Amino acid sequence: MSACREGELDALLAGELSPEDAARVDAHVDTCPACRHALTWLRLERGWMAQRARRTPARPALSFSALEARLARPAIPPWVPLPGSWANWGKMMMAAAATVAFVGLSLMQGGPVPLGDEPRGRDVRMLGEACEDPSGEAVAALEAALGACLVASPVISSR
Amino acid sequence: MALLSAVKMVLAGAPPSDMDRERALLRRARAGDPAAFRTLFERHSPGVWRFLRDLLRDEAAADEATQETFVRAHGRLGALRDQDRLGAWLLGIARHVYLESRRSRGVHVDVDDEEHASRVEAVLPTPTPEDLLLDRELEGLLADALGMLREERRAALLLRIDHGLPYEEISSVMGWSLQKVKNEIHRARLQLREQLAAHVGGRP
Ligand SMILES: [Zn+2]
Repeated sequence: MSACREGELDALLAGELSPEDAARVDAHVDTCPACRHALTWLRLERGWMAQRARRTPARPALSFSALEARLARPAIPPWVPLPGSWANWGKMMMAAAATVAFVGLSLMQGGPVPLGDEPRGRDVRMLGEACEDPSGEAVAALEAALGACLVASPVISSR
Repeated sequence: MALLSAVKMVLAGAPPSDMDRERALLRRARAGDPAAFRTLFERHSPGVWRFLRDLLRDEAAADEATQETFVRAHGRLGALRDQDRLGAWLLGIARHVYLESRRSRGVHVDVDDEEHASRVEAVLPTPTPEDLLLDRELEGLLADALGMLREERRAALLLRIDHGLPYEEISSVMGWSLQKVKNEIHRARLQLREQLAAHVGGRP
């Protein structure tokens, strides 16, 4: 019982364990149905959250030009001390705002925001590089369809 | 031998990691480079928006709160220490923005989920590979299940499973002890599984 810690399984999937700890947890999982069950749920969770993150909608209201316009507003709330180097930037950007807005808008309409660079996306890409298929062709096919490795981890070997 | 030297060459010339690139961007942004700040915004705003949407459960409110988060981040970039991770720092600001917006709107609808917690040790089905596909129906059920978690617990869980923060960083974002972070996330997971168990493992 004391050997079964879901937090360790979670850390294993996240690649946060040292090689020694990863090997120990891995070996334990091989002999423990409860941990294998928990690991299946943890992988499911990761897969779901990755798919959900990839579907983050592009929000036209959430553009950089809108942020710039806001930063350029004279009535800046007291918690925003603009360092000198930023002070003129707002004015410059006001002038460029129309162009930026236009370009931004055309980009928006071009498709969803590329998510590859946001935090979770980076995670997924990392997994993708060391992708191993732990549970057969069905998962591989699904991953191919989604373009991401959903269940593998750089640490854990296929089982 | 040739292979070994090839490997060494690859290692020596390894491209900068994502973390290195981000540090470099951050340095440029602090020095007043608007293009660098823009890149950081574009990298992180979808995740920040999703976190706020999941907390506020309102997309338009999440737009506004995300802008507010980046306005504050812009003003406080200088306070960010080198060892800080921008993602966690932004999510911490986002959480403050969320708490303030909730307070100002006078909204405080928290689900009392303790009774669920007591019976989550129920036997759960084993997920099958087919369950991995998050179709629209399941996505809706997942959103509902997340919505049933107490707000703080939901925030902690999402910081872990959606945003991939280490437990230590969640502890500083939430202002909790490490042990509390672990307990809350564990409970949240069990509740989520209980909510979704009927839709997993040999669905028809
Ligand atoms: Zn075990």
